Amino acid sequence: MTLQKYTRSVDGTIPVVALLYNDEESYASQDTVGIYDGIQKSIDHQNGTIYVTSHRLFYIDVLKPHSRSFVLDLSAIVRTEYYAGLFTSSSKVTIYLSSETPAAVSGDEAAESWQCEVCDFRNPPGSSPTGAKCALCGVPRSKVLSAAPTPPRAVSAPPPSAHLFSSSPPEASGSRPKEVACPACTFLNHPALTECEICGTALPRSAPPIKSAPPSRPGSPTSEGAGGDAMIRLSFRKGGDKVLYAVLKRSLLGRAWQTKSIGERTASSSAERIGIDGLVRGVETSTRTAQLDMNDALKDLDALMVKAREMVRLAGDLNERLTAVTKSSASSSGNAEPDTATFIRSSLAQLGLQMTDVPVTLDMARDEKRWYEQLARELAGVLQGTGGKNGLGMMATTRGIISLDEVWGGWNRARGVALLTPSQFLQVLPHLPAYTDPIITERTFRASGLRVLHTPTYTPAAFAARLHGMLLISGARTTLDIAQEEAVPTGLAAEMIEEAEAQGVICRDEAERGEVRWWLNVFQGYVWDGQDT
Amino acid sequence: MNLSTYKTASGFLLPSIHSAPPFFTQQPNTATQAGFTEQWTRLLLAYARHRRLFTLRLEDAEVPGGEWDEVLRNPRINRRLMPNHLAHVLDVMVSKDLAVYEPAKQMRAVLLYWRSPDEWADVLHEWATNTGQLNTILTFYEISDPPVPSALSGIPESLLRGAIAVLAKSGRAQLISISDGDGVRFFPPRTK
Repeated sequence: MTLQKYTRSVDGTIPVVALLYNDEESYASQDTVGIYDGIQKSIDHQNGTIYVTSHRLFYIDVLKPHSRSFVLDLSAIVRTEYYAGLFTSSSKVTIYLSSETPAAVSGDEAAESWQCEVCDFRNPPGSSPTGAKCALCGVPRSKVLSAAPTPPRAVSAPPPSAHLFSSSPPEASGSRPKEVACPACTFLNHPALTECEICGTALPRSAPPIKSAPPSRPGSPTSEGAGGDAMIRLSFRKGGDKVLYAVLKRSLLGRAWQTKSIGERTASSSAERIGIDGLVRGVETSTRTAQLDMNDALKDLDALMVKAREMVRLAGDLNERLTAVTKSSASSSGNAEPDTATFIRSSLAQLGLQMTDVPVTLDMARDEKRWYEQLARELAGVLQGTGGKNGLGMMATTRGIISLDEVWGGWNRARGVALLTPSQFLQVLPHLPAYTDPIITERTFRASGLRVLHTPTYTPAAFAARLHGMLLISGARTTLDIAQEEAVPTGLAAEMIEEAEAQGVICRDEAERGEVRWWLNVFQGYVWDGQDT
Repeated sequence: MNLSTYKTASGFLLPSIHSAPPFFTQQPNTATQAGFTEQWTRLLLAYARHRRLFTLRLEDAEVPGGEWDEVLRNPRINRRLMPNHLAHVLDVMVSKDLAVYEPAKQMRAVLLYWRSPDEWADVLHEWATNTGQLNTILTFYEISDPPVPSALSGIPESLLRGAIAVLAKSGRAQLISISDGDGVRFFPPRTK
């Protein structure tokens, strides 16, 4: 009889995986298990397989799976016991069931679609009765305590705020209790409380306390044996009991059939917003919706990336067609590619969309070259000044040698909004000598990799000549002396001197723990004038 | 830059490059440094020949007061050859067969070949012939420290052995082992 009351028949020919709810997970299984209904063996259920999931316990019979299989909700289990077995008696797990029969016995709620209370969206079937969340608004499904689900929900559809001001007596389904205002701090408490949640003053009891079981519930179960709880035993004829028992306990501890929201603890509907509970619940809901929004945004991003791939494919397609068109037009009229085609091609290239089988036509290159030349002219103006109002330009302040990063920064600042990337800047540089007077060229110092723009005064040859002259007159000089003489920063002077040394123009002289002095390298063709050997 | 030669106390004429301070600094520019190394090699070998010095060690550059001070240091310009630099020069000399690491398998002391072993062999044989000591057995001590100073005075034993080996190959000497060392006998050259 216990079995009849607590379990629900299920079609065992369907694989268990298909019978699970959306949020349910199967943990373990064990075959050759027999069932005891209370103390006696249940004749119909002596050889079957037990499946433990996160929400329920399945028994699938071996001989007649269609008619003899059942399922038991784990929420009905109060206590479990384990008996290890002795000689001919096999090991058993005893399951004590609560005296409250679960309301879900009345119907298989998982198999029908349900309507959300908050947003009225009709959810598809498949989730566990208590673990379901509305797919549209994310509010968990309220635990249905009444046998007729739909009508009370329609009644409780009005927004929670209406409750705060209503003083109507509680409704028959008991799903919308009226809040009680505290006389001291005016906080709206749950009517079942005797003291205010915030300040602790005693609350006036205006309405009768809510029954823990709704009136539509079926009658209280008959107790078996000596007035204890109803129980079911699982007898493991072929072992596997320890493992399954451990899994069952874990599943019971997990309580996955209880929804995550705190509302379930008070066994009242979760759509309410009363008391501190309600406040906390409100915060949780808002974070949850934020999380959902984030997930949606990421999904949108994925969709965008897919679209981008399509766009690239379209670009390639377009390019092929253009090639075909121009080929045919070229053969007939002998013209060069029309401007539009060039424009499309170059804009595709600029967008960074790679076209693998297209030759870089002269037209594209020509356009770019013209653009770079104009940029070079602009840069020349920036560096040397346009005379007149704008003055001397950047080069003048640095006496003819300036590092690339300074130039780039200054030029972009002058341009304002239409900035240039470093790679574009580097491509402009070769064109610069054509537009500058005196000629400004780029130079890279090998030692440190420093790149500079400079006037002819600072070419390696010119600098070497000047060094030569200086050292001839004054013998040995240190780097500092040379830097002062040339009126350039010391670091830059050091770089240039090192380049001169690498060319063999000068050689160094390092006293022990002293400064480095530079000498002219006159030793290249040295003739021995020492002891004749 | 006025560079001049300088005659040392022992009568050795130092070249003008020795009075140029850069000569004592190891140059990063390989071409310049190669030129300097060549000059150093020539200078060291010439000085060794002049003073009849056979070995050169890194200590001579590190610690003052040795035989090589006249060359390795120049007090007039206040410069000296640093041990690293000297090690580099020695390395180059060994690679050109102008010196050999002695004792072997270390890099701090070399034996200078201001005469190659072949030349030493010829000198040895000539001396033996001129002093009329052919066909007699001579000990190493007698050769390296004869009562009359000769071209071979002070020759280190390893060098002597090398020279004898060369002579043995051409049949002009023979190494003989006697009680407290080794001896050698010279033969007249096989002319005709």
